[in-house]
Amino acid sequence: MKNLGIVSRRAGALVLSAGLVTAAAACGSGNGGSAGASSSKAITVAVAYPAPPKALLDQFTKQTGIKVTWVNIGWDDLQTKIAAAMSANTYFADAADVDWSKVGEYQKTGWFLPLNKYYSVASLRPDMPQLDTFISNKQLMGMPFDSSFVVTTVNTKDFGKAGVTAMPTTLSGFSGALQKVARANSMSGPLDIHLATAEGLSTCWYQVTAAFGGQVLTAQDTPAFTSPSSPGYKALSWIVSAYKSGLVPKANINTTDVQGFTTEMAKNRVAAEMCDYSGTVASVYNVPASSSVVNQVEYIPTPGATGVGLNVANPDGIGIPKTARNVAGAVKFIKWFTDTQNQAIWAGLNGPQDVVSTFPLPARLSSFNLLIKAGNIAQASQLAAILKAHAEAPFPNGAPPWYVQFSAAVQTNIHQAAAGQESVQQAVSAIAAQVSQLKSSG
Amino acid sequence: MRAARRGRMLPYILLSPLVVFIGALSFVPTADTAVEAFFRVMPLDPPTRFTGLGNFRALFANSVMLTSWVNTAVYVAIGVVLSVVLGTVMAVALRHRFRLRGVILALVVLPWALPAVVEAVIWSWIYNPTFGVMNSALHSAHVIGGYHVWLGLDRWLTVLLIEIVQVWQITPLSTLIILAALQSISPDLYEAARVDGAGATAAFRRISLPLIRPALAVSAVEALVLSLNIFDQVYVLNGIAPLGSSVLLQTYVTTFEDLNFGGGYALSLLTTVATALLSLAVLALFYRRAEAA
Repeated sequence: MKNLGIVSRRAGALVLSAGLVTAAAACGSGNGGSAGASSSKAITVAVAYPAPPKALLDQFTKQTGIKVTWVNIGWDDLQTKIAAAMSANTYFADAADVDWSKVGEYQKTGWFLPLNKYYSVASLRPDMPQLDTFISNKQLMGMPFDSSFVVTTVNTKDFGKAGVTAMPTTLSGFSGALQKVARANSMSGPLDIHLATAEGLSTCWYQVTAAFGGQVLTAQDTPAFTSPSSPGYKALSWIVSAYKSGLVPKANINTTDVQGFTTEMAKNRVAAEMCDYSGTVASVYNVPASSSVVNQVEYIPTPGATGVGLNVANPDGIGIPKTARNVAGAVKFIKWFTDTQNQAIWAGLNGPQDVVSTFPLPARLSSFNLLIKAGNIAQASQLAAILKAHAEAPFPNGAPPWYVQFSAAVQTNIHQAAAGQESVQQAVSAIAAQVSQLKSSG
Repeated sequence: MRAARRGRMLPYILLSPLVVFIGALSFVPTADTAVEAFFRVMPLDPPTRFTGLGNFRALFANSVMLTSWVNTAVYVAIGVVLSVVLGTVMAVALRHRFRLRGVILALVVLPWALPAVVEAVIWSWIYNPTFGVMNSALHSAHVIGGYHVWLGLDRWLTVLLIEIVQVWQITPLSTLIILAALQSISPDLYEAARVDGAGATAAFRRISLPLIRPALAVSAVEALVLSLNIFDQVYVLNGIAPLGSSVLLQTYVTTFEDLNFGGGYALSLLTTVATALLSLAVLALFYRRAEAA
């Protein structure tokens, strides 16, 4: 009996420990916490971006008297912290990252303040082509602070070796050219499409759908991809077929977007990126330390169904959380951070010393013009033309509030279709069913 | 008298900060989780309202969730068996003093000291289908004809390879626990057994194994808790694809991606209950055998 008593006490202690570990694991991510206190003369900015050079931040402080504490948090971690802090209604930062995919969610939850009363949408729109990406139900939830968009890139050396000098403008022509490139360069899969279950795969589907001339959701947020003749269906089918036919390397089933850029395209294991991000030529491919394709990669107009296709905009934005302590300071900072001159400076107007590391391209056309005049960014005029005429928001009504669940269904089902675990039709049906369920549950 | 009372109170006074700390950081959130699991808590669909077993029903109606539970059961089975068996083998091998034992012990402990994410990243390079060591080694040894995509195409292969990464991480702790137990056994017992004509195998079965059973139980429970809560390895090696998904990964997805906090609470509660029950079962198994022996 005594032994059993000891056993039960030991067992109890162990079980308690196990339970505590589990509970701690379950609660571990919820510690959001504040990034630092703000007074009326200070603000905290939390974004997944490196800070501008200290000297420039000091200039802002000198002009306004507001001291900036910059907190650079990884993108995924930042989203979790925002969700935890906002749902707990606690202070997190005065200005924080507003990803384009979160716009509907933040508008519906009220986690971020609408910015309409601080900035004039009508006057900003002509200079900021991607502003609409941050508008949900007519409310401006964030200000774009770069102009990232999805774009096709090719290795001109590999294409030249295959005798392809005029870049194809249609998807069928692009596929044919890639087959020639594969033969001429002994590549088993010449095209990078990243098929890991991650946001990059969803974005790529929206991009290929745009190339086919459509969008995946209607203005009422209903599926626009269920008919086999719809651009969304064709795009999904094209992606799966590209993988199964060997146009895309077999290893790409678990490759993310960044891995595709840095370990596939930059190392010349592939000759083209279907869903590249604007800015990678300068920030990835032309960096000698980590690239073997320096000065070989160029942006091309995205091949479409019958001619040059559209490009999906996926810019980064910044907004003001509802729990911000210094809203006026945050407004001043966002105006300064997205100002024409400063946007051009972050992209290299004043030379490398003032560049914000990994900054893709400015959010404003007027900033592009400054860079084009200065002549210090690769293919700036071509990128500006794409931005002005071809870059469109992924969804006609902005990202829906249930975007994250929708995207999870998209990436999961396209991944499974490519891996042969379900057919294209099954993938389409599963995504459509998820949309219906999400819409019906509010 | 007062001094004696003060002396009796001292342990409680010294323990009180710890009790408050654990109470505030563990019991309160656990109790809160248990209550909130029965409420619909969704910022996208306010207000918070009582839903009874609604969250649990929704979890069991979700095919991805069921896949995750089955996957987690396999992670646990592989993790507990392999880490305890390998831990025992390694502890027996390291039991006696030999040259470079300290160096080997330090190397054995290394995987345990590394963060799980770092290990998963290392293994993602090993499993890489294009330039990974695994393909290269197996191809050089003529085991495979061409390079394979190891993760993401076959469910059970994916689960096995992910769990191997975790076993690699948790086995060192099992080794240390079992090694400590082995070293606490009096050499006199082995000497007596040797005099009685018992060989090494018989001595291990009749002396070592019964006496290290408490250590095996602790190792098994430790492996169980860690396997049941596998997250980093799955997330890094396989993303959120259902193919290799685990319960904790789904807890994260449900809570922080779907913003379904009620569902996340329910899943956390189920995981806690499963951990407690399975830990009890493992302990009962080991101690019943100990008593029978």
